[in-house]
Amino acid sequence: MDAFNALMGGFANALQPATLMWGFIGCLVGTMVGVLPGIGPALTIALLLPLTYHVPATSMFVMFAGIYYGAAYGGSTTSILIKTPGEASSMMTAIEGNQMARAGRAGPALATAAIGSFVAGTVGTIALTFVAPMVVNAALAFGPAEYFSLMILSLIAVSAVLGNSVLRGLIALALGALFGLVGMDLQTGQPRFTFGQSQLFDGIEVTVAAVGLFAIGEALFLAWQGRESKGSEVMKVSGSLMLSKKDWSRSWKPWLRGTFFGFPIGAMPAGGAELPTLLSYYTEKKLSKHPEEFGKGAIEGVAGPEAANNAAAAGVLMPLLTLGIPTSATAAIMLSAFEGYGIQTGPGLFSAQSSLVWTLIASLYVGNVICWCSICRWWACGSSCSKFRRLGCMRASS
Amino acid sequence: MTPWRFAWVLLVMAAVAAWQATVIPESAIQMTVGASAVPIAVVSLLLALGLLYAVSAWRGKQADEGLEEGQTPLAGSTKRLLTLLGGGLAFMIGLPWLGFVIPATACGMCVASSFDAPFSLKSLLICGAIALVFWVLFSQILGVGLGPASPFGV
Repeated sequence: MDAFNALMGGFANALQPATLMWGFIGCLVGTMVGVLPGIGPALTIALLLPLTYHVPATSMFVMFAGIYYGAAYGGSTTSILIKTPGEASSMMTAIEGNQMARAGRAGPALATAAIGSFVAGTVGTIALTFVAPMVVNAALAFGPAEYFSLMILSLIAVSAVLGNSVLRGLIALALGALFGLVGMDLQTGQPRFTFGQSQLFDGIEVTVAAVGLFAIGEALFLAWQGRESKGSEVMKVSGSLMLSKKDWSRSWKPWLRGTFFGFPIGAMPAGGAELPTLLSYYTEKKLSKHPEEFGKGAIEGVAGPEAANNAAAAGVLMPLLTLGIPTSATAAIMLSAFEGYGIQTGPGLFSAQSSLVWTLIASLYVGNVICWCSICRWWACGSSCSKFRRLGCMRASS
Repeated sequence: MTPWRFAWVLLVMAAVAAWQATVIPESAIQMTVGASAVPIAVVSLLLALGLLYAVSAWRGKQADEGLEEGQTPLAGSTKRLLTLLGGGLAFMIGLPWLGFVIPATACGMCVASSFDAPFSLKSLLICGAIALVFWVLFSQILGVGLGPASPFGV
């Protein structure tokens, strides 16, 4: 009941016109950066950190939360329409969603992603509000053995879903692990795989790797291929944005399963959004009555991972707010913003900065609604806009 | 790239990584698992997988992705690729000498050109405007260190 009363107080602050405006700006910017390949919420919040000198802390964090949620919504758009995920956690959506778009079902793919994101975001925020202490305890109970098990689980999941060749999947995995080792060892401070170059001491940023692999790689491929080879037909943002009865029945279970993967794993240290997304996809592939459709445009392969992605966004905020532990790049940058304001994060944050924390949580509910409404409005506009169709379908007709 | 060539690239990468794993300095901190333990494990895995892939490719069991449908480029693919890469290179090289706007404009024009937009005044104006807006937004309003806009330090 205390949590409920505090949340109501948070709503009273979050619905103040000035705070609401910052939340709206955050959702708008977040959706835009989510749509733009290669520019994720972490980069955006990092770029906006200088604003902390000019804007009050509550407004700033409400905007950051809006950016975070907005990016989770927007990332699905480019993943589905041009097969270029804005973030690594949209990778599975890019695979299945783009195949749906190519098959003339871009509308249902976008719709199931948006509704799944909304459902997962709402459930995740409710969990953040009321179940936080229990989930935090569970996360704290993780020791080295559990971490190792989690890593093995993620490796198995990754190698199981990567294309048709397990060998090539494992090679990609080993290469990823190798590149992840570049830089200073956090325990001993010894440089590894740096070739003596100080520029490599900080390692290879995930954002840089994602932009290089997904955005620049795709640009190079498109330039190499040439425009004419894609054919003259421009594929539309096709299909109704309303889900059919069959699509609903195939989507609602993946939404819920994705939520239950996303929130707890997002709340765990080293969990992040990528692992639940992969787990959700893998699970849906195993549970689906149409496993043959996976890789060719299965709606479950969009619904589950998108829900997991958004639920993880709420989950990531829990250890940040309750323990001061950032479990993702975005959370780490938000932590530095807290430090910029001189706010000490950790268990004492809820009591010392009660108003700020509950306003932030309340703004997540508000932001979730704003993001959902705005993205649906945008797609509805986009479905009747030829230029948007052209953008969305640059590669689709190849 | 054929599977056989890819196998060679993989093995060379694994060899370079193995060499780097051997030069990781010993830590003064006494630890059961040191800084080189995981790198050695990962490099060993990569080497083993590379060898497996090479054997598999030699037996002809790995498909050449380049032969699949949709993997044939139009004429001029090399020129388009080089233009795109050249734009990125021009930006990186020009940034310290020419400020932000000129290299960014050149990079934008090269990228546009690699997607069949001609080098024209229109392209120059559009790319220049985008570069300038980005510089003003990030450098002047948000205080991100992009350096000066022009070679004259403005």
